[in-house]
Amino acid sequence: MDHRRKRNAEGAGPLAQAGEVSRRAMVAGTVAMTAVAAVLPLADTAYAENAEGPDADMMAFLLLSEALTGVSRQTLAPELVENKNEILSSDPGIDPINIKNAYFAWINANDATSSFGKLLQLAKDNRQSLGDIIPKVNGSAEDIKFLARSIVLLWYLGSWYKPDDLKRKVASPKVVSPKAYTQGLVWQIAGAHPMGYSNLQFGYWSRDPRDPNRPALFDPAKT
Amino acid sequence: MADTCITCDVAIVGSGFAGSLIANQLSKKGIKVVILEAGPGIQPNINDAMARFYAASAKVPESPYPPDLADDPATVRVGRPTALTLSQSTWQNTSVAYLDQNTDDPNRKTRPFKSTYERLAGGTSHWMGLTPRLVPNDFQMKKTYGAGQPDFPFLDWPISYDTVSPWYEKAEAELGVSADADEQRFAGITFSTPNYAYPMPRIPPSLFDQRVGKAVAQLTEAETQFLGTAAPVTGLRVRSLPAARNSQPYRNRRACAGNTSCIPICPIQAKYDATITLNEATNNGVQLIDHAVASELLVENGSISGINYIKYDEKSGSRVDCAIKAKVYVVAANGIETPRLLLMSRNQIATGIANSSDMVGRNLMDHPQYLTWGLLPDPVFPYRGPLVTSAIGDLCDGAFRSQRAAFRISLGNEAWSATVGGTGGDPQTTTLDFINGLNASGLNKKDFTQLADNSALFGVDLTKTLGGLISRQFRIAFAVEQSPDPDNRVTLSSVKDALNLPRPRIAYDISDYTKRGIATAFRMKELIFSKLGAIDFTKVAETDPGKFNVDGIEVPLTYGGAGHIMGTYRMGDDPKTSVVNSWLQSHDHPNLYLVGSGTFPSVGTANPTLTLSALALRTTDKIVDVLPSYQ
Repeated sequence: MDHRRKRNAEGAGPLAQAGEVSRRAMVAGTVAMTAVAAVLPLADTAYAENAEGPDADMMAFLLLSEALTGVSRQTLAPELVENKNEILSSDPGIDPINIKNAYFAWINANDATSSFGKLLQLAKDNRQSLGDIIPKVNGSAEDIKFLARSIVLLWYLGSWYKPDDLKRKVASPKVVSPKAYTQGLVWQIAGAHPMGYSNLQFGYWSRDPRDPNRPALFDPAKT
Repeated sequence: MADTCITCDVAIVGSGFAGSLIANQLSKKGIKVVILEAGPGIQPNINDAMARFYAASAKVPESPYPPDLADDPATVRVGRPTALTLSQSTWQNTSVAYLDQNTDDPNRKTRPFKSTYERLAGGTSHWMGLTPRLVPNDFQMKKTYGAGQPDFPFLDWPISYDTVSPWYEKAEAELGVSADADEQRFAGITFSTPNYAYPMPRIPPSLFDQRVGKAVAQLTEAETQFLGTAAPVTGLRVRSLPAARNSQPYRNRRACAGNTSCIPICPIQAKYDATITLNEATNNGVQLIDHAVASELLVENGSISGINYIKYDEKSGSRVDCAIKAKVYVVAANGIETPRLLLMSRNQIATGIANSSDMVGRNLMDHPQYLTWGLLPDPVFPYRGPLVTSAIGDLCDGAFRSQRAAFRISLGNEAWSATVGGTGGDPQTTTLDFINGLNASGLNKKDFTQLADNSALFGVDLTKTLGGLISRQFRIAFAVEQSPDPDNRVTLSSVKDALNLPRPRIAYDISDYTKRGIATAFRMKELIFSKLGAIDFTKVAETDPGKFNVDGIEVPLTYGGAGHIMGTYRMGDDPKTSVVNSWLQSHDHPNLYLVGSGTFPSVGTANPTLTLSALALRTTDKIVDVLPSYQ
């Protein structure tokens, strides 16, 4: 599994020593962590506390992200346990890296146009037909469309490109955190790894990529 | 003179490669050594540096290291040049750029000196880790190629390859070099020890190295005539490059895991840096005084009698003026900071210390890099492995050197990370292009994607497009020999740093000889790209302050910095034309040694660290010999 490799690398890597939460601490502190890790409902979604479950917004975020990034939700949330009857009632899980929670919180805090809730709603409405999400996002208001681009850039590069900057075709990206940089998806999509962050072994560069970290891609046409 | 704070046998200014090696060797002999380091000391680990690097928006070579990239250099006590201060709008702006690159001389064209360095314990740890040797003719350019040319700009070294060769072997052991000796026997390279083996086997070639190797294995005489070699070139060999990167565990450091960030920092220290030797030295009893800026060398009866330095506190900003007294003094502060210190000592001697030849600060050289990049017909999966694993070195010497500069061709594994414009280089630039419908990379065009120009993609279209394009990117760089020019010069600026010391002022240009080398590199690029079936994306920005035109080539050419700062206190037998002798001992002051690549009279095309390390080890032996004669 992808996440196993990543977890090992993280545990052994410099960031772990620099104060990242270790797997052991994570398990021991699960009860305490839940309150922090759980995603707070958004003010303008109608789904805050209904039958879809406490993680409905996070699940909507994962479905939205899967559709827009083209990377499977199981890669985005390695500990995801799906509820086959109602995807929004699934348990998104807590993994040692938990980048999805960091991104959700970041987007929520930096969504200057209150578009995030609308994107989540769009994902919820289309949870049975994920292939419709891209055309619907492209057909949405500018604020929503450019936030969607910011979200994909966040997943791909670990950097925040403000929607307004994207609209104006300028760039002053901010790396969200050291961890976000190391979780950028574009590297693995290209068969590589973030520069300065690899868990491969001596000599691998002489051969075609057989990188266990390569993400499972998502293609709605094939599901 | 300030109060003497400390006395020792040997005082060393600077704890980079040369300073650390000398300190460590001397300490093994029980000699009392003190190092003055201008910047921060050795950190307990590299975690902070890694975190800074990961979090940096612009992952430039300086990004993991202090001080902060955005600081005004007038407010920084120990400044340094950075890659962010080389654009048209910044390179001559001294409130942004540490180096003052302005000129008062209306007759002199000045171009940006594009190399950077660090000032902290361990010196420039952002080096690439490549350790090729100079070749024999690099030591005797004038003798071999200058016949009948009275204005031939090169000065021969006072020592030959054969003199340096055994010291190369010692340096290769200290740094931990991986290479294959048989593969390195070209352009006259021999080894002093029979059946010499490098400390570790070579680093294996990347997929791109292998691809280029096949593409250039067979060439025709007509295709390579432009090179001007004595014998026709009918094929070229891609050779693994010697590198101070472990190919197996060596001296308690692990093997390279191909993190693809030799520059700016190896996350596992499989790449040698001087902190490794420096730690050994301090364990042996060497005293490293950090946050201690040497400000003046003192002279008494023709000898150096002390060094004034400023000991400052990073947080409070307080400073104490001190002096150190020793028997022998070594300045190991790089090709810009060393002449700066010598010239700052003008209260002692009006022309500066060690400068009776007027050569201190002159003949500043780099290896101007002609950087090219393109797209292959199918993937070679770059952004993997060490940044550079192989090169075409065989064109570094030949009869053409009487007319034009030689070059080595380095094959990059980091593709477009330092080539395309935009924020952060690639893959960031290309990714942004395809998500936001832009084309800064040049790749978002129907020709390459079969999609509409400036497509903005999501989902499977995005993964397929980016995966397909980024895996085909490559870059090739030509490191060109720069000829010495006394007008390329380090002097003192009227602008100061936060310690009120004058910052370095730089005057720099590249000669026609070097430009002809770059022009030939351009033609070589055309040949290699056509053999690879590659699409050329090489572009010189309109705003590049270094760009120039050459007759017969339609596009403008330019150069980048290699980080190789050389020539500014050159060695020679004649005190009238050189600053130090072959022992790197000052002609003027017998107890003063000036070490580092500033001593190179000419620079060939080999990365300088191995050579300066070999020379430093040779100097150490000399110091051990002469030390008993000083009381």
